[in-house]
Order: sequence, then C-alpha cells, then structure tokens
Amino acid sequence: MTERNNWEQSVEKTIKRFPERKETFTTSSNIKVDKLYANENTDKYEEKLGYPGSYPYTRGIQPTMYRSRFWTMRQYAGFGSALETNKRFRYLLEQGQTGLSVAFDLPTQIGYDSDDAMAEGEVGKVGVAIDTLHDMEQLLDQIPLDKVSTSMTINAPASVLLCMYIAVGEKQGVSLDKLTGTIQNDILKEYIARGTYIFPPKPSMRLITNIFEFCQLHVPKFNTISISGYHIREAGSTAVQEVAFTIANGMAYVDAALKAGLDIDAFAPRLAFFFNAHNHFFEEVAKFRAARRIWAKIMKEHYKAKDAKSWKMRFHTQTGGSTLTAQQPDNNIVRVTLQALAAVMGGTQSLHTNSRDEALSLPTEDSARIALRTQQIIAHESGVADTIDPFAGSFYVEELTDKIEDEVYKYIDRVNELGGAVKAIEEGFMQREIQHNAYETQKRIEKEDEIIVGLNKFKLDEEVNPDLLKVDEALEQAQKKSVKMTRENRNQEKVNMALINLKKQAKKEDVNLIPYILDAVKQYATIGEICNVLRDEFGEFTGI
Amino acid sequence: MGKIRVLIAKPGLDGHDRGALVIAQALRDHGMEVIYTGLRQSPIQIAQAAIQEDVDVIGLSSLSGAHRTLFPKVIEALQERNAGDIPVVAGGVIPSEDIPYLIEKGINKIFTSGSSTEALANYIKQLINPEHSKLEQPNKIAHIGIAVHSIDQAISFYTDTLGLELEGVEAVKSEGVKVAFLKIGESRFELLEPLDDTSTIQKFLDKKGEGIHHIALEVDNVEERLQKYKQAGIKLINEEAKSGAHNSQIAFIHPKAANGVLLELCQHTEGSDL
Repeated sequence: MTERNNWEQSVEKTIKRFPERKETFTTSSNIKVDKLYANENTDKYEEKLGYPGSYPYTRGIQPTMYRSRFWTMRQYAGFGSALETNKRFRYLLEQGQTGLSVAFDLPTQIGYDSDDAMAEGEVGKVGVAIDTLHDMEQLLDQIPLDKVSTSMTINAPASVLLCMYIAVGEKQGVSLDKLTGTIQNDILKEYIARGTYIFPPKPSMRLITNIFEFCQLHVPKFNTISISGYHIREAGSTAVQEVAFTIANGMAYVDAALKAGLDIDAFAPRLAFFFNAHNHFFEEVAKFRAARRIWAKIMKEHYKAKDAKSWKMRFHTQTGGSTLTAQQPDNNIVRVTLQALAAVMGGTQSLHTNSRDEALSLPTEDSARIALRTQQIIAHESGVADTIDPFAGSFYVEELTDKIEDEVYKYIDRVNELGGAVKAIEEGFMQREIQHNAYETQKRIEKEDEIIVGLNKFKLDEEVNPDLLKVDEALEQAQKKSVKMTRENRNQEKVNMALINLKKQAKKEDVNLIPYILDAVKQYATIGEICNVLRDEFGEFTGI
Repeated sequence: MGKIRVLIAKPGLDGHDRGALVIAQALRDHGMEVIYTGLRQSPIQIAQAAIQEDVDVIGLSSLSGAHRTLFPKVIEALQERNAGDIPVVAGGVIPSEDIPYLIEKGINKIFTSGSSTEALANYIKQLINPEHSKLEQPNKIAHIGIAVHSIDQAISFYTDTLGLELEGVEAVKSEGVKVAFLKIGESRFELLEPLDDTSTIQKFLDKKGEGIHHIALEVDNVEERLQKYKQAGIKLINEEAKSGAHNSQIAFIHPKAANGVLLELCQHTEGSDL
C-alpha cells in the first residue's frame, strides 16, 4: 500500500497550500463523503488508475482535485472593439468568473490590419479587433495582470499577441515572471480543422519553438501552447479521433522543440491541452481519463521525461458548439449542462460553457450569464465535485476508458507510419478521416438514425426568434480610423527600424524571433505590418 | 443535359468548412459536379471561379457574421462580369432577420443551420432543371370539405335548395367523422360532422365555427408527390399517405404551405367508385 501512502502524504502537503473547501463533506442525509473511493484489489489498479496526482493520472492530475479548488470558470468572450470587450470582461469578473479568455476577430487571427482589403466585413465579428498595442492597452484596462490569468485564442500570430500582452504587463508594472495565462499557439490543428493559418508548417513550427524557449526563460508561468482537440471535434471527428490527433500533434511539437535543442523537462510542463465535451456522457468522461493516461505514458516511456510535471496532461474544456441547435435554442442550456458535467467528471482544469444562442450568433449578456451560472450550479449545488473521480471502478466507464485508449494508439501508430503529424496533415490523412465522419453523422441525422431534439424530432411548428447580439456595423469604420490614427502618432522611424531588424533576423533560422517581435510591438507596429514581414520571408500556406 | 455543376465557396476569412465540405460531398452523391474553392476567397475570386468553371449554381457558406457584407458583394461581382444569371444559394450561421435583406440583394435562397442536404440538393435540381423534376398538375378538385355541426340539419340546403344529388353518408371511424357526399359536376361537396369531441372537425368547429374545412385535389401518385414535396421542404401534415373514404389514399398539406388553406391530396385506387 505504499502508493496509497504516497498519495496521502501529497494530500497533506497540498492541503497546506490549498485547504479543502469544507471541513467535512456530507450528503443531505449526513453521510460522510470521502476524498477518494478506491478498491486497490481490482486487477491492475495501480497500473491503470493509480491515485489522483500520481502516474498515470487517470484519476486526475492533482492529489485533492476539486476538494480544494473548483476548476477555473473561464468564459471565452470578445466582440467588436477593445473598449466594448473590456466592459464585458469586467462584467464577467464581477459575476464571479475566475479567468479571462479572449476571442479575437478573424483579421487579427490571420494577421491582417482592420483596414486591409482582406478584412472587409470581418472586423470585430467573431471576436475583438486588435491592430496594435494601443488596442491591447484598452482591452486590458484596469484588469490586474498579476492577479487574473488570461487565455488567448490566437495561433498563427500568437507571438505578436503574446508580446502585446507582455508589453501591457510591463506598463502595469507587472514583472514577466508574474504573468499567467495561455496562448493557443497550436498551428497544426489550424491546418486540419480551424483554418486560421498564415505561414507554411516549417516556419510556423519555428515560431512555436521560439515561444517555448522565450517563455521558459522569461515568462515561466505562461502556458506556451494549448494543443487543441476542440476544433478537430467541431469539424466532425469522433471522440477517439479528437484525442488521437491532438496527441499526435502534441508529439509533433515535442519533437520540434527537442530538435531545436530544448530540454524536455524545461518545456513540457508548460504544454496545455484543450478538449471538447459532447453529449455522449460516459464516452466523454472516459475520453478525458484515457487522454490523461495516454499522454502520461508517452511522456514518461517514449520521451523519457523525468519531471512528473512533464507527464501531467492539464486541459481546458469547452462544451460542443456543433451540438447546439438553432431550433428551440433554450434546449441548448440542457445540452451544455450535460456536457459540462462530463468535463467535470473527467477532471478538467478549466471550463467554458457555451451559451444557448451560439448556433445563431455571438451570445447576449443574458445568455453568457446563464452559461456561467450552469457551471456555478454544478460546482456549488450538485455535490459532484466533493469526491475525486467518482466514476472510477464503474465497469462500463473503465471498459470505455480502456477501449478509447486502444483505439487512440491505433490512430497514433497510423500517423507515425505516415511520418508524424506534420506529414499526415500534408497528405490530408487526418482531414479525410474527420470529413468522412462528419458526412456520416449528417447522413445519420437526415435519416433520423440519430435524433437531435427539436431538429429532426420534437419539432415546433413556429420557431421563436430570440433576441440576438448585434455587432454594430459602424465598428469596422471606427476601427479602421483608430488604426490609422495610431500609425500617424507613432515614431515611424523606430517602427521601420524594428521591422527591418525583424526581417533580417527572420532570415536566420536559428535566431529566436520573439525579442524582435516584442520590440516592434512596443513601437506600435501593427499586427499586419509584423505578419507581412514574416509573410515575405516565410511565404504563405495556401491550403492542401 | 450533363451533370449540374456547382461551385461551393467560402467568402471572407472564416475557416469553418465542415458544412461546406459536407454539402460538397452530399451534392456529389446526388450526381452533381462540385468544385470547392477552399478558404478565404474574395467575392471577385468567387465570381471569376464561377465563370471559369462554367457552373450552374453557386453555394456560399459563412459562419463568421460577415454574410451581410460579403454575400451581396458576390452578387455584384457576378453582375459586373455579366454573370448575374448564375443563381446563388447560401448557408451558415445566418440570423433569420438577415434573410430578407440577403434575398433582396439577390441571393436565391438561404439554408440555415439544421437544413437537410436532401432539401438543398432538390432545390438546386428544381432551380436548374425545372422541367425535369416537375410533377403533373393535380387532375381536378376532388371535393370541398365543409365542417358542419349536424349533417341532418345541414343537408336540406344542399339537396333541396341547391338541388344536388346525395351520393351517400358514411362514418370514417379512424378520422372520427361522419361524411355526406354531394355530387356537383365532376366534383363533390363533402359535409363533415364530428363523431366525438376528440375529432379534428370538432376542434375546427370550436375554433372557427362551420365553414370550408379543406379542399381536396385528385392526384395520380400521392406517395411520389409527398416525397417530392417533403424534399422541397414543403410543410406536410402527413408525410405518408393514409387510407381515406372509399378506398382512397389521402394526405394533408399544412395550411402554412398553401396560404392558409388546408389541402388534401387524394388518389383513388382501383375499385374505388368515387
């Protein structure tokens, strides 16, 4: 029973830092709820399940899980101007949200200024428009960056936005080692599923490893990547494909960083993951548990990482946008509740719950509040967070966990046979697999082999049109003016110098570009100017 | 006529192409030739591709909210190139309040989230090749159904005043009605009296009082017609035909599809005398 003793010791240590939420946990009938229920006599208990906070982490990555602290409730938000989004952020923080998550508009995500011809019609639509440091200053106004952690959904130009964040931190007087947050920075899934790529794979992988290295030295608490299965699932994959392709991509990042000469235990602890939660409740719970176990094994046995922190898969979860229906949108609240519950039962570190109206537009403030309340009800009222990994030992869930693990390894083997994730993506392998499943799903729904309540069964004659959030059409013009003003008011000579310098350094493959991007950002160079320099040097990815 | 050629295009910067890809695949399975542009196409690029590829129809997809700006620009770009006759359909995350604006700007039809690929494919077939998928027109008005509280009380107006011939009275238990048939030319009046409180005729009488309840159209192949209507997204009360009076096969079309009139399709099978 030494493993159990180890766990008990680590619980004691953890509780000193993060005391449990209550002195005792009980049910309504005054039955005491223990931290952990385990039957160590079951076959291969320690090999397959182990203890929370210890290898292979099937039961969670922290010794006390939600007994000490709930997951971070992190709602993804952003629309229109930086000013408007700043208001929504401060509202969400007042409402008890514990972390920020920034949605950027598509021109920002693809490295175009708001007044670029390519940006037409897209400015401020799916997120906030950020052209220069000036916008970032407005976005984060009065938000203390040493206290609030910020997740940024930004990939191809992740380095630029990270540098803007660092620059705002410096202006607030927050030292770099105090900044916490995450950049998505996962380009491979952009090629597979999400589409906001700029450069070809090779220079993109260079920028990513540059970020790993820079952050390890200067911004050690920042998660340098969020390896995302979310969008793979949204594009139509199965749960198994979601985990398999995400882990295959994760291995490609690890390989690239090792090749660049980084030490595995120096960067691996800062790798984070991002998964989806769909409606098949038990499969989703099993999926999260299997994913943790697989990653731990790969990091320990394949990559020989020594630091236990390198073995732990920390992940964010978002409920499944593609499962929501435009019909009878209030039904989506129920779907989100089920999915959020699965994420919590799967041991997520943070969670975004979708709003009921997301199949129709960006969420209104009312809808966003209900989505946050859904998490708060699960946390505070349901009692599901009072014991760790409550589905462990269920014959069904354990069997599903094992099966998902087996199927994931089969896919990873196929990807490896093709020469790894980058090659598999270039050959369109993952895209085809996902596309096939997306089409089969659509056919099942049209044949009513798969029932979607309100869509192909239990329909209403008359759909009620809910109030939707409108992004003001005048915003695009205002943002265009604003970026023009910033360009006029900066020291153009310094901007030119910074950009020329960046161009020079980009030619040299072994130079870390982050300090040069940071320099350009601080001179109020625009995201488009910086990305255009890199486009000239790196070329553009034009699809497969 | 060769295969229908379709251009599926993603205007703007939106990278969500699950819908576009699923639709491309579905239209191919419907025997169409589909060209997919890939992501990030400007309206001008889309118009040029449509002309170069000589397509019969363009399908646009956007989920990023840029549809109000970009969809009309595609129409403009087509018109500038004398290709304004290429029909354009569109889909994605489009709030219903934006649909009239887009139709006014020249989009033929918007298929919103949850639409079936079947409906889209049939719409395109109909649009490109209207003769091909056209159904024969209904043969005649088979009868006009009139809801009455009591056949006994109502009948004398029709037989004595109008002088119509009463062909018979019959109870149709499955529908909860008693029916009287009165011949007029090649058609009939059908007086409908509820047999009990749960009858739809009773509900009609409670809501609206006596009056015209439905118009029945005589057709040749009711099943095929229902299938086509269903595919075209016509709202039906009965998606499959059921047995009506006198050995007939009947189905009702929803009043919403016919300007507030309840239409019945009826097919008289062999051996039916009416």
